[in-house]
Amino acid sequence: MTDLVNVIAKYGYQSLALFLFLEAIGLPIPGAIALLAAGAATASGALRLGVALPVALGAMLAADTILYVAGRFSGWALLAFLCGVSLNPEGCILRSAKWFYRRGRITLLIAKFIPGINTMAPPLAGSMNMRAAQFLRLDLVGVLVYVLTYGTIGFLFRDMFRALIGGLQTFGRLAEWVFAAAVATYVVYRIWWYVKHRMDGLVHKVSVAEVAARLKNQSASPIIIADVRSHGYYDAGAQRVRGSIRLEPNNLDGVLDNLSKSAPIYLYCT
Amino acid sequence: MGEATSARVARILREKGFDAYVLNGGLKAWRKAGLPMEQVPEEDVELLPSFD
Repeated sequence: MTDLVNVIAKYGYQSLALFLFLEAIGLPIPGAIALLAAGAATASGALRLGVALPVALGAMLAADTILYVAGRFSGWALLAFLCGVSLNPEGCILRSAKWFYRRGRITLLIAKFIPGINTMAPPLAGSMNMRAAQFLRLDLVGVLVYVLTYGTIGFLFRDMFRALIGGLQTFGRLAEWVFAAAVATYVVYRIWWYVKHRMDGLVHKVSVAEVAARLKNQSASPIIIADVRSHGYYDAGAQRVRGSIRLEPNNLDGVLDNLSKSAPIYLYCT
Repeated sequence: MGEATSARVARILREKGFDAYVLNGGLKAWRKAGLPMEQVPEEDVELLPSFD
């Protein structure tokens, strides 16, 4: 953390822009620390407010706009990718979309303060076709509040900057512990999930060629091919296996009554 | 994601007495083998909320 402060002091605007850009694009960089340092550097005269503020705003807006445009043009694919690390990717997409739809505008305003959400919000706005002008307006306000909050704290604490750096070291150590605990929790959760679902691996797999052969023989012995993707159905014009039916994995109970128990069912996802 | 979802659903279906299997390689393998595809029917497309 102290290194970060030193780098900000030394390389000024470029490093400020780089840190904030990388944080906004989704890398685990503590942009808030960079802003604290920049605020203090502004107070001491090392950086000028008239340059530092536009640089900070521009860097974050640029990263957010890239994510917004990527979301806009990739449909739900980018969100599916971001949800890929979650345990239930199909559920993650649906939940995020519904949640963002209800609170999207507020979310954009406060997203910067919440790790994880800060990266999800701009591509969600894109995927959900929020108008570009509205997105930019909301995002600018969100970024402005974030930059000014931490920049002002750094500015006000300029006299206590040495103390602050000491505090940051303690904070850094604390943050490392929190991070380690989070990683450990995730690993335990993964193991628990694996144990719970290890039986899944025992389900018989059938090759594409075999299913295709049985499909030709449909009239003699009917088969069912079921698509269990959910995000495959969020974009108009998506493709699926010809003759397959949809089986929404998040809502199985409702559809199973109509499903035949005598015909073999072949399931596929991405 | 791979086959995680289909394996999970297949196990649930088997527990309920269905004769379920996982298509090895999923949609990707099917497409790669040049087997017939179709467009998802419009009535099946579930439009997620949008700000339009």
